[in-house]
Amino acid sequence: MKAGVGVWLAGGWLCLAVGASLFAPLISVHGPQLPVGPALSPSAPGLPLGADALGRDFLARLLYGGRLSLWACVLASALSLIGGGLAGLAAAAVGGVIERLVLWSANSALAIPGLLLAMLLVAAMGPGLPTVVLAVGLGGTPGMARITRSIFLQLRQSSYVSAAEALGGGRRWIAVRHLLPNARPHLLSLATTNYAWAFMGITTLTFLGLAGDPSIPEWGAMLNDGRSHLFDAPHLALWPGLAIGLTILAVHTLGTWQARLRPGD
Amino acid sequence: MVPVLDRPALGALAAIGRRALEGAVTAWAAVSLTFVALRLTGTDPVSNLLSQGLASPQQVEALRHRLGLDLPLLIQYLQFLARLLRGDLGISIYTNRPVLGVIAEQLPQTAALASCGLLISLAIGLGLGVAAGWDERGLGGRLAGGLAGLATAMPVALTGILAIWLVGLVGQRAGASEWMAALQRLLLPALVLGFASSGAVARVVQAGLRESLKAPYILAAISRGLSPGPRLLWHALRPALPPAISLIALEAAFLFGGTVVTETVFSRPGLGRLLISSILQGDYPIAQGLVILAAVVYTASYVVADVLSLVLDPRLRRTA
Amino acid sequence: MALVALAALLLSACSPAPSGGTSLAYGLTLAPTGIDPHLNASSELGIPLSSVYDTLVFQDPETGQFVPGLAEKWSITPEGRTYTFTLRHGVRFHDGTLFNAAAVAANINYILDPDNHSQKAIFMLGPLDSVEVIDDYTVALHLKAPFAPLLDSLSQVYLGMASPAALTKWGPSDYQFHQVGTGPYRFVEYIPNDHLTLAANPDYAWAPSVYRQSRPGIATITFRFYVDSATRALALENGQVDIVGEIPPQDAQRLTKTDRFRLYPIPIPGQPLEYFFNTRLAPTDDVKVRQALILGVNRTSIVRTVFGPYSPVAQGPLAANSLGFTSEFAFPDYDLAAAEQLLDAAGWVKEPATGERRRNGTALSLHIVAPDYGSNPEVAQLIEAAWKSLGAQVSLEIAPGFGQLKSLQQKGAYNAIGLNFFGTDPDQLRPFFAGQGIYNWTGLQDPAIDDLLNQASQSTLDPAARMKSYATLAQMVREDALLLPIRDYVDLVVANSRVQGLRFSAQGWFPFLIDLRLGP
Repeated sequence: MKAGVGVWLAGGWLCLAVGASLFAPLISVHGPQLPVGPALSPSAPGLPLGADALGRDFLARLLYGGRLSLWACVLASALSLIGGGLAGLAAAAVGGVIERLVLWSANSALAIPGLLLAMLLVAAMGPGLPTVVLAVGLGGTPGMARITRSIFLQLRQSSYVSAAEALGGGRRWIAVRHLLPNARPHLLSLATTNYAWAFMGITTLTFLGLAGDPSIPEWGAMLNDGRSHLFDAPHLALWPGLAIGLTILAVHTLGTWQARLRPGD
Repeated sequence: MVPVLDRPALGALAAIGRRALEGAVTAWAAVSLTFVALRLTGTDPVSNLLSQGLASPQQVEALRHRLGLDLPLLIQYLQFLARLLRGDLGISIYTNRPVLGVIAEQLPQTAALASCGLLISLAIGLGLGVAAGWDERGLGGRLAGGLAGLATAMPVALTGILAIWLVGLVGQRAGASEWMAALQRLLLPALVLGFASSGAVARVVQAGLRESLKAPYILAAISRGLSPGPRLLWHALRPALPPAISLIALEAAFLFGGTVVTETVFSRPGLGRLLISSILQGDYPIAQGLVILAAVVYTASYVVADVLSLVLDPRLRRTA
Repeated sequence: MALVALAALLLSACSPAPSGGTSLAYGLTLAPTGIDPHLNASSELGIPLSSVYDTLVFQDPETGQFVPGLAEKWSITPEGRTYTFTLRHGVRFHDGTLFNAAAVAANINYILDPDNHSQKAIFMLGPLDSVEVIDDYTVALHLKAPFAPLLDSLSQVYLGMASPAALTKWGPSDYQFHQVGTGPYRFVEYIPNDHLTLAANPDYAWAPSVYRQSRPGIATITFRFYVDSATRALALENGQVDIVGEIPPQDAQRLTKTDRFRLYPIPIPGQPLEYFFNTRLAPTDDVKVRQALILGVNRTSIVRTVFGPYSPVAQGPLAANSLGFTSEFAFPDYDLAAAEQLLDAAGWVKEPATGERRRNGTALSLHIVAPDYGSNPEVAQLIEAAWKSLGAQVSLEIAPGFGQLKSLQQKGAYNAIGLNFFGTDPDQLRPFFAGQGIYNWTGLQDPAIDDLLNQASQSTLDPAARMKSYATLAQMVREDALLLPIRDYVDLVVANSRVQGLRFSAQGWFPFLIDLRLGP
């Protein structure tokens, strides 16, 4: 399958966002926390994206915010992928009581919508960015366990695994030697979808004001701040809104493309 | 979705009963999960009261005793379940009022928002789905399909702010009116919420339409000279409707969660705002009550959805 | 097509009830946890409820004098320990029961009952010993010590007179939903976070002289909550609401460009928004550090950035419009060089490489706690930035609501904690600066300050002597660098220009709803 313009654009945006946020200290002259210019100005000399309500360099905040928003989601989605993946693998490889237990707890947890489950965890652990990441990661785990189990199960029924079993390979050996490597393309595409969910979850929770310290820039929290100045300084909502929207679109585009690439689907 | 009829030998009624039982067990497990999540973190519901000077140490001890917090965890859990069955969700730490009463106060606002949102999501979803499925390769179809995808992908926070901004600009020109007030209060939030959940409806309708347009009876109708107009659409759409209708139940559950963000964006009172403020204030009997409510609504919706598809789809009924 | 029909259907179902010209929507900006004025402490509750209750005396907002209310006259014994009130005849509660001396006693005893946990009213009564019913229309309050602020307390809604029958009927947990007073407006309904409705009391015939009108002019007043400051201006523009307070300054400027709205900047007496330094935790246990932290913050710039041109920069523990304020001991202006010098002198030396200050290897690290309401998070972030520029490591924690703020304060792990407080009598400083005070957030235990506070409010009723004591206190607070004052509170109220007669009580928060009229 050839990659279309959309895929290139999506990849381009993600590379730009990740690169810009990585090299934030080199790109932006000012830090994200010190007031440096006239508050609420849409642009000023040295401040290409203007200043926020407290006179801080908005470009700097957007870049440093990208670090948190983009990387926090990597952490959160890795958490649900590893946690859910291991549970799914155990269920598929071992079967029996373990499988039933995993399935049953995943299904029960899924009775609470993922975002609400994350909020419940924030309620238990108290607001703050680390809590939000943990909550979104854990909130995505049950769904991941269920999907990975079915993937592993499908693979297990494929002929070469049966052959390995017939040759007397141990269950653990089969799991490690055969199931994991063969699941890689599926897991990769799952990771993309999961990243989109984690990104949406984290920006939503921080948008709802559950991130704690407001001086730390984060896209969701910045979007929420922008709401107060929608009519006198719309740029405060525009830039983080655009960053969030483009990132979600890009991840979705890549996810769809990846899914089409997957053999056998 | 969980398959309804993996045992075709069972009668339809038995299938419904079994599904309801499954739902009840799932709801029980979810409810237990909220209990465990909140207790394992070790937060004591009344210690906050003490540190805020709202109660003396003796009063806190008395309260702890009254709430049964001095008992072993297992007993507490059983008491919690017993109270839950009687509809007792406990007492809010901050306002010292029954959780159920506090939730009931805020329910109408959220119910109004969610039901308006549901109607709108069906209208938009049906429109987009038909447009996308009718002419999949054409510009209109692709546009509708893209819009449906956008509806699913975009967070409510983003579309909500965009909507507030646009309507605000118009409002500043147009001036105050009953229309603008009503628009701000309910219609706009409902529109944003409805748009967000219309993507799923559109996808189901589109898929159904695509399938039935390829079906022999439609091809036969076309070959007999039925023009590709509204009549044909109606014939093609009919089999696509039952899954869409059973989706309504699932939508209801989704909307329940979506109201949290919508209410924050639009600063509407309701269960979503209640949830956020209870989380921030550490009033987690309220948070727990809301999550339990969500779990029950969610599970019940799944059961209703399955039952609906069973009742509506003659093919499923026959195998049952 | 279906969409248009649906929209029309929804709109007809969801549009507001037609307003008949005598109804008004008033926006509240905080959702209080409870609204029983005798038991809860919120200022927000007084906005509607000041008009549900009458008080024994009223304070004239223009002159500051106390005038008769439900008490026709009163006398104070020379040593200041007994206040005797002669009550008005013929006053009836909204439930039809008669107001008399027994009702006064019932109200006071309801507040004093330890099981009811009064959060504010009980403290406003000071060293009250007992209440004595002398006859049906004479009641005496006996104090253990003189208490200068008593009349001020009795003029506020927290000591408003409620129907004893209703208090007994509903009890402390439910009374807040069924309040019954004698005021110009009757309590109709309260749904938390949603709305509170008042209706005119047609029988009201005992208006005090502080009101300009003798009867209410608007049939129903609905209070709605606009907790999110971003929505208030929009609600005014859409006509959802006629009056809202705490409008963000940029919105206030924008709205008043047209003649559709009128801005009422209301200075609120009390203690300014200020950051109390924790004197029990390093490094703010060192007075030099505290002084440096004050000098290192450009207060004027913060106030202009966050509050626009409306709020004065605060200069001491009391706001400039408060009784007891003196400009003699104003706080020093921003002086970065002086701040750096003080920190150097205190041993906190800047590392050339990182720009961070350390002493014996320990970093100068500060933890700020700020409440989430108003513009507090913004102010806290600017203070954080200023202290970072001094070379400190700063962390900021936002407390959602006053309860959490208090909870964080109790844990003691803060160097500076932000708060503002409203009140008319300077005795409001006592809980903040007395060693045993419930808001002693500086942690300072100074017998000299305790003595001064006692002298000022519990030994004399002479205003001049009292004010002198408070001036001395202001001097001590500045010299000890106990706090960083930021801004005097100004409530930006914006009303639709058809609203006429909008006036506020001496406390600044509470509108005289009886005076409101609606123009064309």
